[in-house]
Amino acid sequence: MIDFINYYLIPGITLGSIYALGAVGISMIFGILRFAHFAHGDLMTTGAYIALTAVWTLGLPALAAIPIAVVGTALVAVFLDKAFYKPLRDLPSIYTVIASFGVALILRSAIQLLWGTDSQVYVVGFQKPLIFFDSLRIALRHMQIIAFTVAIAITLHFFLSYSKTGKSMRAVADDPELARIAGLDTEKIVRWTWIIGGGLAAIGGVFVGLDTDIHTNLGWNLLLPMFAAALLGGIGRPLGAMLGGLIIGVAEEICTFPIMDIEIISPSYKSAIAFIIMLALLLFRPQGLLKGRVL
Amino acid sequence: MNKTLLMLTTAACITFAGSAWAEDIKVGALMGVTGPLANFIPPILNGAKLAEADVNKGGGLLDGQTMKLVVADSQASAQPSVDAAGKLVNIENVVAIMGALSSGATIAAANAVAIPNGVLQVSPTATAPSMTNLEDNDYVYRIVPSDNYQGKVLARAVLEEGFKKVAITYVNNDYGVGIGNTFKVEYEKLGGVVTKFSKHEDKKNSYRGELATLASSGADALVVIAYAAGSGAKIVKQSLENGFFEKFIGTDGLRDDILIQQIGAEALASSFFTSPSSPSSNEATEAFHARFDETFGGGSDKPFVDQAYDATMLIALAIQQAGSTDRTAVKNALRSVANAPGEIVGPGEWAKARELISAGKDINYEGVSGAHEFDANGDVAGYIGKYIVEGDSYKQTKIFN
Repeated sequence: MIDFINYYLIPGITLGSIYALGAVGISMIFGILRFAHFAHGDLMTTGAYIALTAVWTLGLPALAAIPIAVVGTALVAVFLDKAFYKPLRDLPSIYTVIASFGVALILRSAIQLLWGTDSQVYVVGFQKPLIFFDSLRIALRHMQIIAFTVAIAITLHFFLSYSKTGKSMRAVADDPELARIAGLDTEKIVRWTWIIGGGLAAIGGVFVGLDTDIHTNLGWNLLLPMFAAALLGGIGRPLGAMLGGLIIGVAEEICTFPIMDIEIISPSYKSAIAFIIMLALLLFRPQGLLKGRVL
Repeated sequence: MNKTLLMLTTAACITFAGSAWAEDIKVGALMGVTGPLANFIPPILNGAKLAEADVNKGGGLLDGQTMKLVVADSQASAQPSVDAAGKLVNIENVVAIMGALSSGATIAAANAVAIPNGVLQVSPTATAPSMTNLEDNDYVYRIVPSDNYQGKVLARAVLEEGFKKVAITYVNNDYGVGIGNTFKVEYEKLGGVVTKFSKHEDKKNSYRGELATLASSGADALVVIAYAAGSGAKIVKQSLENGFFEKFIGTDGLRDDILIQQIGAEALASSFFTSPSSPSSNEATEAFHARFDETFGGGSDKPFVDQAYDATMLIALAIQQAGSTDRTAVKNALRSVANAPGEIVGPGEWAKARELISAGKDINYEGVSGAHEFDANGDVAGYIGKYIVEGDSYKQTKIFN
């Protein structure tokens, strides 16, 4: 039983936290700007590499480099919107979706040019996990990742519920026409969407690097489960996306747990779990867990 | 006005394209520049570039035309490899392809592009047994031994080290499945016990679940058949962190400097690796390695440098022998320059090879990484080296023939 917690549940929650941080941005962009942002994974990669540069040049530990990564990636996200998505905003959303594919390739190639294609780590070597009660083993970095994600979820909840910007964002997500007629500054809300989405993606990217390694396909590889998480939580429901990320991350890891020493699902089918959950959801509850918009 | 301009531009384009074609002969290099093999690529590409430079310095191809390597990124996986190979064949119009590196990428590019378009493809590194029986109309070759061979050697090496019980985890692709199965069969035949045999998916973040199950099977060591930058380094790292395993046995995919950089040499002291290798040092290989290090400032000891040079050289020789850039003629010429009989030509002897070919003599290229005698399936016999970690790189301790 303790093996289940140590090697399946905790890695699952860690993975889920990373999915959650990426899925928030996808869900918000989907809700407010109404398009599927395929370059979101590469924003995560951007964040991870900006933090890597800070680790190299300033000698900071990876966690301390997070603010730099957040600011840098948020700026990149706002710039991408200005340069590529804003001119297409009045066209049908399929144009923007395709453009975001292009942006994903541009970002990845730029990263490959700037930082090279080798995989990198923030810290060389390995760390023994902390052991509690003689049996519970948690790696320090997993505790950090989970704690940070919980703190972010709480902050995000209060921001969306009580701040003026947060409330405006929810209003635009619910009904953009009505929000505009009521006099909300849509451009400002769009800007904040990119700042928050990009910033959280950067944190997710740094966490991936902290947990495993940093390479140029880091975010792209996570894109599909993150989309599944955004759909699972309900489009335009940022906290739903976080919940969705957690569920998908945990499901991917624990599904391979052998019951009575029999592996029911081979570990090589882990990735399929996200898609099975997504398909089942689209068939039976298309609005998602937290009643988001139906696609 | 516009029409004239358009016609002028078109004319300029045609002239430009025409002259470029007359001067340069393009050979594709299908390399996993990004993706799990990214770390292997720079020295491998240098190997190919050295061959290109040797050809151009020694008189060029055919009537003194320049050989030009065109690199395309296969990302070491199937679909991107097909796209990249398609670009090489249809847009760059290459005469032949050197590559790809991983077996999955090589087989996909061969099936979807090289074979249907009739383009010679020589892989310096693809080792999957499934390539042997590919229905390739004789267009696909490789110059490393099949994993049928590496798997068998690995089984012998593991038993020689005294490991009687091992657990195996292998990556779910042509490479992992091929070598995993041949290793298991041979190891059990020789009296070893495989306590658990499990495949895993590349590119995941956590392998702790699988590893916990593997560890509970009571094995002496873990055989990891995976690419270091894809899943291998994570598997080794997470095993060490949680105390699942301390001893690892890896194949050529794991024998990547990135493993030492990420894990540290100390923790790998009791592990060993196998990888296709070159015959024990002779004058030609030593001279080649010295020349390589001089040109690129080191790196001749990295995996598959020799093979990349040889594969590129063989393609160049085949073009010279064919006397044209006709793709079928080039394919038909490959065996005659690679296989005995014939006058032996070694690495760096392009000028000599040119003379012999123009004199109508049969040649036999004996490369840095072996003699390269292709059998009916386009496979070669070869050498497997055993490596241990020493300092911050790998050291070959034994060669199996």
